[in-house]
Amino acid sequence: MIRNGLPPRKPAAELAHHIRDEYRAGRLSRRQFLSHAARIGLLAAAPARAATLGRPGATIRVASQVPAGEIEPLTVSEIGGLVMLCQTGEFLIMDGQDLILRPSLALSWTPNADCSVWTFALRPGVKFHDGQSFGAADVVATMDRLSDPKAGSNALSVLRGVLSPGGTKRVDDLTVRFELDAPNGNFPFYVSSDNYNAIMQPANYAGDFEKTFNGTGPFRLERYQPKVGASFVRNPDYWGRKALPERSEFLFFNDQQPQLLALEDDQVDVIVQISVQGAQGLLRDPDVRIIDFPAATHRQLHLRCDEGPMADKRVRQAIALSLNRPGLIHGLFQGRAKLGNDSPFAPIYPSTDPNVPQRAEDIAKARDLMQAAGQGNGFETTLTTERLQEIPDLAVLVQNACGDIGIKVNLRIEDGATYYGAAQFGRSDWLDSPMGITDYGHRGVPNVTLAAPYLSHGAWNAAHFKNPDYDRLVASYIAAIDLSTQRGIAGQIQRLLLDETPVIIPYFYDYIAATGPSVRGVAVSAMTQVFLQDASFG
Amino acid sequence: MIGRGILAAVFRRGALSLLTLVLLSMVIFAGGQLLPGDVGRSILGPLADARAVAALNHQLGTDAPPVLMYLRWVGGLLHGYMGMSYAYRSPVAPFIGHALTKSLALAAVTLVIVIPLSIGAGIMAALYRGRWQDRAVTLGGLSLTVVPEFVSGILLILVFGVWLRLLPISANTRPGTGLPEQLRHLILPSLPLVLILFGYIARIARAGMVEALDADYTRTATLKGLRRRAVLFRHVLRNALLPTITVIAAQTSYLLGGLVVVETLFRYQGIGSLILTAARGKDYPMMEAGILTVGAAYILSAIAADMVIAALDPRAKAAQR
Amino acid sequence: MKPLERLARPGFLLGFSIVLFWVICALFGGFLEPQNPYADDLMNALAPPSAAHWFGTDQIGRDIFSRIIAGAAPILSVAPAATFLATLCGTALGLVTGYAGGWIDALLSRLIEVILALPLIVVALLVLVALGPSSLNVTLVIALVFTPIIARTVRSATITECKLDYVPAAQLRDEGALHIMFVEILPNILPPIMVEVTVRLGYAIFTVASLSFLGFGIQPPSPDWGLTIAENYGLIVGGYGWTVGFAALATASLVVGVNLVAEGLAEAFG
Repeated sequence: MIRNGLPPRKPAAELAHHIRDEYRAGRLSRRQFLSHAARIGLLAAAPARAATLGRPGATIRVASQVPAGEIEPLTVSEIGGLVMLCQTGEFLIMDGQDLILRPSLALSWTPNADCSVWTFALRPGVKFHDGQSFGAADVVATMDRLSDPKAGSNALSVLRGVLSPGGTKRVDDLTVRFELDAPNGNFPFYVSSDNYNAIMQPANYAGDFEKTFNGTGPFRLERYQPKVGASFVRNPDYWGRKALPERSEFLFFNDQQPQLLALEDDQVDVIVQISVQGAQGLLRDPDVRIIDFPAATHRQLHLRCDEGPMADKRVRQAIALSLNRPGLIHGLFQGRAKLGNDSPFAPIYPSTDPNVPQRAEDIAKARDLMQAAGQGNGFETTLTTERLQEIPDLAVLVQNACGDIGIKVNLRIEDGATYYGAAQFGRSDWLDSPMGITDYGHRGVPNVTLAAPYLSHGAWNAAHFKNPDYDRLVASYIAAIDLSTQRGIAGQIQRLLLDETPVIIPYFYDYIAATGPSVRGVAVSAMTQVFLQDASFG
Repeated sequence: MIGRGILAAVFRRGALSLLTLVLLSMVIFAGGQLLPGDVGRSILGPLADARAVAALNHQLGTDAPPVLMYLRWVGGLLHGYMGMSYAYRSPVAPFIGHALTKSLALAAVTLVIVIPLSIGAGIMAALYRGRWQDRAVTLGGLSLTVVPEFVSGILLILVFGVWLRLLPISANTRPGTGLPEQLRHLILPSLPLVLILFGYIARIARAGMVEALDADYTRTATLKGLRRRAVLFRHVLRNALLPTITVIAAQTSYLLGGLVVVETLFRYQGIGSLILTAARGKDYPMMEAGILTVGAAYILSAIAADMVIAALDPRAKAAQR
Repeated sequence: MKPLERLARPGFLLGFSIVLFWVICALFGGFLEPQNPYADDLMNALAPPSAAHWFGTDQIGRDIFSRIIAGAAPILSVAPAATFLATLCGTALGLVTGYAGGWIDALLSRLIEVILALPLIVVALLVLVALGPSSLNVTLVIALVFTPIIARTVRSATITECKLDYVPAAQLRDEGALHIMFVEILPNILPPIMVEVTVRLGYAIFTVASLSFLGFGIQPPSPDWGLTIAENYGLIVGGYGWTVGFAALATASLVVGVNLVAEGLAEAFG
């Protein structure tokens, strides 16, 4: 039986040999090898390297964004809230800044032949802060809650179409089986720290997380004050290496500037996330340690493919060719970003095909394309977007670039809430506008960003892009487990999107955090999570 | 002593104010209803499922008819219950209390600086009436009144915070900081407000002083042989103070809720920013409670000012006799 | 001294010249700007003042000096329009309440007091949250919040006028109410209205700038001063003060200028 035209799946053991061969042949870097091996659970049992640890007993003070609402694992959807969740809560798998998956509450995970069923072995001897033991029943309950459309969790944006309620099955107290809606080669990422809502909760969780912050993590809650801050203390009953700091204190801020001032005045030790815009001074300060690593955070400039002059792909290509991408990275991010090539395949992903030519500014060619599409006299359109970080500046720069090729762009810069509206077609400026810029956060794999914004019936398809070839390619990418297969399909997707250009992605910018000069051992993820269990001074 | 006539007048004033307050609550509530956007959607975000949004709206009671929602709200207020924040799912009152405290702190620092400064300047202007001191105070004060707070704030930050490094730029301090240090952080944010109020109060103080200087009772008192200094202190100062109290009461709504620009510039979470954030986030209970608090404070301060003036004004006492 | 001579005091003249300067910038900015205020130059972003860029460049490399000149136009179109609209409505409202008296006066006065019990900026913000930010909406909102203030002044003036002889005389002549209000009374209360309007203009500029600073007013990529400050005030700490300092000075000079003119008028005609 032929499954959508692809060769039959390789059993897991053969896969292991296969990626080792790829690595030896030099087609994979060491980091990519580790990342890929970890994903399919080959490294799961490997012990963590013991790092040189600092002195225990410190109080670490952290500046973080103020959570926008209640701290409820199901509904948290922004930085302030998700930073809180990962202080006391833990995930089955940890996704670090190197995109390599590591065991946390799950010890190992293996797929079946076609990646439609994944079996996870859970860590024994784990207790929640309230004393209950952690086991398969809790995983089942948590995942069912997260994947239930009626519960309205933020995690649905990740799990819809992948895992449904009832798909998580308890095999025994320490084994869980996930029966997916469709084969998915990257599934472990979906239950990792990437899915920031997926902290494990007890089966009898009653919806009062903000009062207790009950979890399995190395810290437990001392005090939480909405809009003000939170403090956590070391959990003496933690299953792993006890946290080095005795306490951590979080101060909430509405804006970046007071956070920068607080770090300079030594009122805080860590800033969770920094945007380059506004922090140019801090980034030059020799007394501050900057944590900077590449991430997949990006902006999508969507162009309507179903109506208007931009329905012709030559016009869309012309707009893409009018942008000076290195200039954008230099001016907007001081170089702390990677070039985007108009597809969600960021340079950091192992599955990205590196051989696809990078699009560059070419005004002459852009003008020719406009002529060929019959738009030699130009046209007028409106770019709608939200007021967030550098996006208004990007909008102005796009406006100027389009002006160079004859397109008069009017700007509408709105509040985030107004831009997103009801987030449904017909009731959202985001989804209805002819041209718009949307912010997309980092993800450990491109699955979600390939699907919702681009698929013919994607919920976030602001470009109204409908391409059956694309849909087919994405389905096979998601189902692929083999890295070279993934890469092959990725290459096809990248070239298709470069040709069709429903969305312009000019850059993927780095994740940046900052600490005081004597702080050590702070771990962060590109999801803007911060982990303090190994933090110390000196 | 407050005589019966005064008391009756205050009573009537109080009743009218209550009417104003009720009207205010209706206007605020109606305004909230007119704001666009779906409450449930605002809280759950653009990616949440439509059914979950509908469920949340029902749970919060936002799908009830407006009149019913209004009556529920007023009923709650009468029991001292300010409502439940849509965004934080916890009572609104602590947020309002916290923000109000911060606004009051800033207002207090402002008044402590501006009142002596402007009354002093106004009196000096009156004493040197017509001369350059007078023109400097009057014209200078009035020019400063129209400079937007964020403009003077920026210039003050650049001079005192960045260039001279005399004052801290941030208005916020870590919890546990001593009161003097906290107050020191409020100086720079209060200066734009001081500049704005200075012109008003100085001018009023000057006018009151001029009137008092020319008035009969001053000449009478001087003729009686009292030293000019004593006359000034007892009779005239009181006259400069009275209109000042009126001005301050009139500026209460500004001093509490209208500081949203200064609060934004200095990232200080007073009640003005609270109202703005709540409005943007469609957190109507928070927004409406905040606006009502500011309006009520204004009305209360107007009544209080009337009573103080009635107690101090010699002319009112004379009329009473 | 004749009124015009009373006007020619140093305060008024200073204010007038400042305002005139900015009006010229607003009208003829295109000729005065050394560079295109909208052209970005990413490689040169956040450059300090130099010979090439007298006021430096902003975060995407635009010349700040040109943007300051170009920024006079947005604020000098919105604020006067709003003031004009508020004057029309406020005068009409004030005349009606002052002349009619009775329950109309009581009701409208109470409504005015309700609106004035709230900080004006908060009312403006809430309406703009509802309507969405744009230059047109800002104009309407400012007209809305200033109308009661102007109405209050006009009402007092009207009530004073009504006590004078010519009003009962006109009523005896069976003149219609509208005629009495707009033909008889209005010309006599023009001087205080003029003064109030000029003062209001200063406050309109104040409010437009504040709303732009809060993100509710004039929209990017406009070189409006309030917007410029809103976009850049986070950069002060990093040592990039020129991106906001010049816009702040420009705004301050304009509002002070308008106010000096208002004061001069008040002294001459008040």
